[in-house]
Amino acid sequence: MKQLAPIAFTVGDYLIGAAIGVVTAIVVRLAISPGLDMVIGMLVGTAIGLIVQALLGLILSPVLGLMETMVPGMLIGMYGGMLFGMRDSMGAGSRTLLAAAAVGALFGVIVVLGVKIYDRCLRGIVLDAT
Amino acid sequence: MDSATQRKWDEASRTYDFFTFGEDRRLGQHKQRLFSKARGETLLVAAGTGNDFKFFPPGMHITGIDISPQMIERARRKAASYSGRIDLAVKDACNLDIPDSSFDTIVTVFTFCSVPRPIVGLKELHRVLKPDGQLLMMEHVRSAFGPLGVMMDLLTPLSRRLGPELNRDTIGNVQKAGFRLRRVENAYLDVVKIIEAVHATAPEVKNEAGVIS
Repeated sequence: MKQLAPIAFTVGDYLIGAAIGVVTAIVVRLAISPGLDMVIGMLVGTAIGLIVQALLGLILSPVLGLMETMVPGMLIGMYGGMLFGMRDSMGAGSRTLLAAAAVGALFGVIVVLGVKIYDRCLRGIVLDAT
Repeated sequence: MDSATQRKWDEASRTYDFFTFGEDRRLGQHKQRLFSKARGETLLVAAGTGNDFKFFPPGMHITGIDISPQMIERARRKAASYSGRIDLAVKDACNLDIPDSSFDTIVTVFTFCSVPRPIVGLKELHRVLKPDGQLLMMEHVRSAFGPLGVMMDLLTPLSRRLGPELNRDTIGNVQKAGFRLRRVENAYLDVVKIIEAVHATAPEVKNEAGVIS
């Protein structure tokens, strides 16, 4: 039973990462039309990602932990929103909403994986003068 | 007493247990390991609703303080189930009406992300800690990783309204307040840190290899 909790947290981390990616991708797709200035698309996408991650983070962080939800959420929401905004302003790739959502989910999962690897690298003693 | 901060945490006390449910379970083992180093008269700063009492070894005498009367009221119920003695009081970490050199150990958990004047608060802890005492902290700080650190800076004006600041340099603040770092450990990325410190004037010790620290 003791092993279940960390596994549940790990699964939860990937699920929330995918969820933030999907919601960000969908909202950005709905808000940004092809032909919009790419810089404006990027800024709008970033702002949307920021709001999405803050809202989803607020709802889900009580279950998964504030920092563990917020840190990958910030990276997915803001940088994902920026990239999705640039893409959608150019009308490039992911022609359907479903495809855009799938790319959002993939982006979220990859960022969570990256954060977990980075955490493994950083975790541990950085100073010991005892 | 900082009444604005007091009001903010009185408000937060209603939902505090809900919002810290996951964090307690993820970081609980780190807290337990850190708290096992507590010895003698112990001060827990920003005790909140008392969620961390269960991580202390049994049989200790702990003084728990918080700026919020509502938090302390909720903490009383949890203090009753601790197998030791916990005294609770409403106090501002920046203005402790406690005599100098009163405690052997001072413990903080995610406290100095929220104290409005962190260096003033840490200097107060320095004052009430005995010269051979120890400061044990678990704190979240600004990440040194550029893209993440920038986002923490951007989100801090928002997070400050709800509770903590995300971009504090708590390790630097600990040193500015007159402490010497004894041990620092990353518990999650370089964001959640376990910090152990002593008075900067505390005698240095030689380890087995004869290295002075």
